[in-house]
Amino acid sequence: MATVAATAPGSGRPRRRLRERLGGIAWGTVAWFAAIIFFFPVFWMVLTSFKPESAAYTNPPKFFFNPTLDQYKAVFSTGMGPFLANSAIATVISVLLVLLLATPAAYALSMRPVGRWRDALFFFISTKMLPVVAAIVPIYLAVRDIGLLDSIPTLIVLYTAMNLPIAVWMMRSFFLEVPGEILEAARIDGADLRHELTEVVMPVVAPGLAATALICAIFAWNEFFFALNLTSIRSATMPVFLVSFVTSEGLFWAKLAAAATLASVPVLIAGWIAQRQLVRGLSMGAIK
Amino acid sequence: MATATADQAVHLPGARGQDRRSREGWIRRLPLMPALVFTIVVTQIPFLLTLYYSLQSWNIAKPGSPHWVGLHNYVDVFSDPVFYGALLHTIEITFGSVLIATLLGLGLAILLDRKFLGRGLVRTLLISPFLIMPTAAALLWKTTMLDPVYGIVNWVIGWFGAAPVDFVSKHPLGSVIATVVWQWTPFEMLILLAGLQGQPRDVLEAARVDGASAWASFREITLPHLRSYLELGVLLGSIYVVNTFDTIYMITQGGPGTATTNLPFYIYQRAFEGFDIGQAAALGVVTVVGTIIVATIALRTVFRVFIENESRA
Amino acid sequence: MAEVSYQDVSCRYAGSDKLAVDHLSLDVPDGGFMVLVGPSGSGKTTALRLLAGLEQISDGRIEIEGRDVSGVDSRDRDIAMVFQNYALYPNKTVAENIGFSLKMHGVSRQERDDRVLEAAKMLDIDEFLDRKPRQLSGGQRQRVAMGRAIVRRPKAFLMDEPLSNLDAKLRVQTRVQIAELQRRLETTTVYVTHDQGEAMTLGDRVAVLKDGTLQQYAPPRELYDNPVNAFVAGFIGLPQMNLIRLPLSDGSVRLGDQTIKLPRQLVQAAGENGSREIIVGIRPEHVTVDDGAGEGIPAEVVLVESLGADSYVHASIEGSESTFVARTEGYDSRQPGTNVRLRIDAERMFGFDAESEERLGDGSSAGGASQTPASS
Repeated sequence: MATVAATAPGSGRPRRRLRERLGGIAWGTVAWFAAIIFFFPVFWMVLTSFKPESAAYTNPPKFFFNPTLDQYKAVFSTGMGPFLANSAIATVISVLLVLLLATPAAYALSMRPVGRWRDALFFFISTKMLPVVAAIVPIYLAVRDIGLLDSIPTLIVLYTAMNLPIAVWMMRSFFLEVPGEILEAARIDGADLRHELTEVVMPVVAPGLAATALICAIFAWNEFFFALNLTSIRSATMPVFLVSFVTSEGLFWAKLAAAATLASVPVLIAGWIAQRQLVRGLSMGAIK
Repeated sequence: MATATADQAVHLPGARGQDRRSREGWIRRLPLMPALVFTIVVTQIPFLLTLYYSLQSWNIAKPGSPHWVGLHNYVDVFSDPVFYGALLHTIEITFGSVLIATLLGLGLAILLDRKFLGRGLVRTLLISPFLIMPTAAALLWKTTMLDPVYGIVNWVIGWFGAAPVDFVSKHPLGSVIATVVWQWTPFEMLILLAGLQGQPRDVLEAARVDGASAWASFREITLPHLRSYLELGVLLGSIYVVNTFDTIYMITQGGPGTATTNLPFYIYQRAFEGFDIGQAAALGVVTVVGTIIVATIALRTVFRVFIENESRA
Repeated sequence: MAEVSYQDVSCRYAGSDKLAVDHLSLDVPDGGFMVLVGPSGSGKTTALRLLAGLEQISDGRIEIEGRDVSGVDSRDRDIAMVFQNYALYPNKTVAENIGFSLKMHGVSRQERDDRVLEAAKMLDIDEFLDRKPRQLSGGQRQRVAMGRAIVRRPKAFLMDEPLSNLDAKLRVQTRVQIAELQRRLETTTVYVTHDQGEAMTLGDRVAVLKDGTLQQYAPPRELYDNPVNAFVAGFIGLPQMNLIRLPLSDGSVRLGDQTIKLPRQLVQAAGENGSREIIVGIRPEHVTVDDGAGEGIPAEVVLVESLGADSYVHASIEGSESTFVARTEGYDSRQPGTNVRLRIDAERMFGFDAESEERLGDGSSAGGASQTPASS
């Protein structure tokens, strides 16, 4: 092997390695360039949030300035706290509810599939294809008539319904990844259904459960349409806060950037930490 | 005990076996039921009610106004030029955004599929737009990015000697699409990246041994392999982008005029600004029927991801 | 430890009109090692899974230690199984994997640890007890799967092609270990494989299956010496027995330019059937290859596979399409195209009915396929 390479004409080996190296550097440069372009608006949002208002409106834009926390103080002083709490409650409870409903359903559609599971699965997915707006009128009227306008439980129910199809679909794919043999092994080892689930199935699908939870949390946290139309003061969430902030405070960019940063940061950090699960979770369904 | 029941099961495979089987079927179906019932109640009943309201003339601003008008609301919808505009804008936004986001996502996924210095960090940076709250993203783009005087985009095109442009009022649809594309490209990228990384290496190596160029092996092997991932990405992307509301609400409010009014925004306006329940409901029904038709055609012809996914199981 | 008995067992999968296992009757004595062997689709794995309770029998009954287990859940059958892909729990350590069944049966922690360690030492995996399965090599995983079975001290071991994922050398080593272990523990074992070599070396008795039906159930030696039909004859033994369909005239068959007189009992049996054709079977080790002229069937060498200790000579008979395989001692240096003469030991020739492929002559008397169900 080595002799063959050494006798190759024109010492092709180092030259090829150099070309590969240069190619790698060029490749990396292009990738970094793309990443910087895509990330720039996020970076700019965070940067602007530390500017005094006067430094936000400049041409050319300012990259260096005396950072200040004034904008964050201003945002907090407008009473963001309750909105943040509402968002957190609606997100956390709806995600828990989604997992509670979707996990058994996905189990029934995968590991011990019921008859006509295909139809059931398709039904779940098809509800996702129907535009939400088309249902907003009766939902609004119904919620109004039972006196649940501007209440967090309303949002929780709707967010659960909104995320349930995706969660069922994802969880089903994760269940399908559990090798059938280990379930049989557990049965032979004497595990009953409860132990089969708690000892064998759940540890295997736990990362999938996390990925599902994360994706549902992102959609619930960012949801705007229901929150805008069905809440007003008591139970409005962060996206609504952003809107009301703009309306009441006017378009002050630095303050706006601070509010936007605060609204986005929980999901942003969660997403960064769990990006591996995110990749897996999103690609499920396309994989066998 | 066990022996006795077993014997019966063997020797009387008729009635008793059937009985046990149907009971077992119900036990198996039990875990599915809560989710199914919940989904039917929360998503299907409102649609039926929408159908009912669409046959009524009802403006909540005028008390006591509901009365039966038959198909009158539908006649109005189909003779309403704004409806056709909204339909067109919905298609333009969905088609344009998903197409561009998927192509960009494919490019980025290919970039990320190769090792280079700081790949993990690059991926982290690239997924960030997807994690930003759409309301916040829309505000950011409208102000800091696209502002005619202080916006970053105008500053950048200024380097090349271009005159500043008021994007939001001159190219409202483009501004909306740009924002949506920025948010959904990472989503498409992640799905396609998973597809690329799930590709068996030996097949690519076999192609290289067979003398295929990088482009040829991409076209002949990688792209067909990516097909189901592309379908999934386009499908999920479309499902969400068709419903785009927050971006339009924040950036253009459907304007100028109705230049960026899509169906969701139009229904919202009819219901919550015009308080016209009957009209909004009729619009909703038309949207649903249209979506069902498009989705059915798409699923039957182009998309095989569901069918294949199911038959594999 | 217990005897295992299949009594007229059938299994039909939902949506299939063919029986996966067709009226199978077998008895494995207490402490016996029974191997189920057959090509893929023969129903051997289904038969094992019926015993494990992983598939439902459609008809008949299965007994473990005299107790009918039809309808009894897998977890209550007191059996242990080694799966083809080992089926280790990916999130549990080796110790937890081995101890899982004890935990499920409510064995105290102290005793569990002791027994896990004992089993692990027996299999030489005690140093890996804290590792996760993905940190182990294929052979180590296989031993963990074995450990999970033996720690139970179950009534029976069920093994579903446990060696098929190992490389050739390790497969032979592990085969020896399994045989030793089974002899030491004296636990009734049912072992499924598609490899006739494994079947011959491991089993006290071997059951050959084809298309869901039992062909023959006998000790390995008996299968080799007295196959009941052409299928068993061809399946058992390596290289495969030469099986050729020939017209029968006057108590002899013609091969090449030679007329071979068949043994009397063969002719007799064939005559009783009134058949004009016969399938003759000759094991490669009963064919001698001679050079040049002289006695024997003229043939031309097609290919020589030399394994070192012995060689397989493939030769085509002149004036016939059939190829013969002969086994010769030592390294055979004959080139393809060489003319040779094949000499056949006619006394050791097998004959099978051309229609039913049943053994003609003395074979049918020994170890029949239709072992009658135990009338207990």
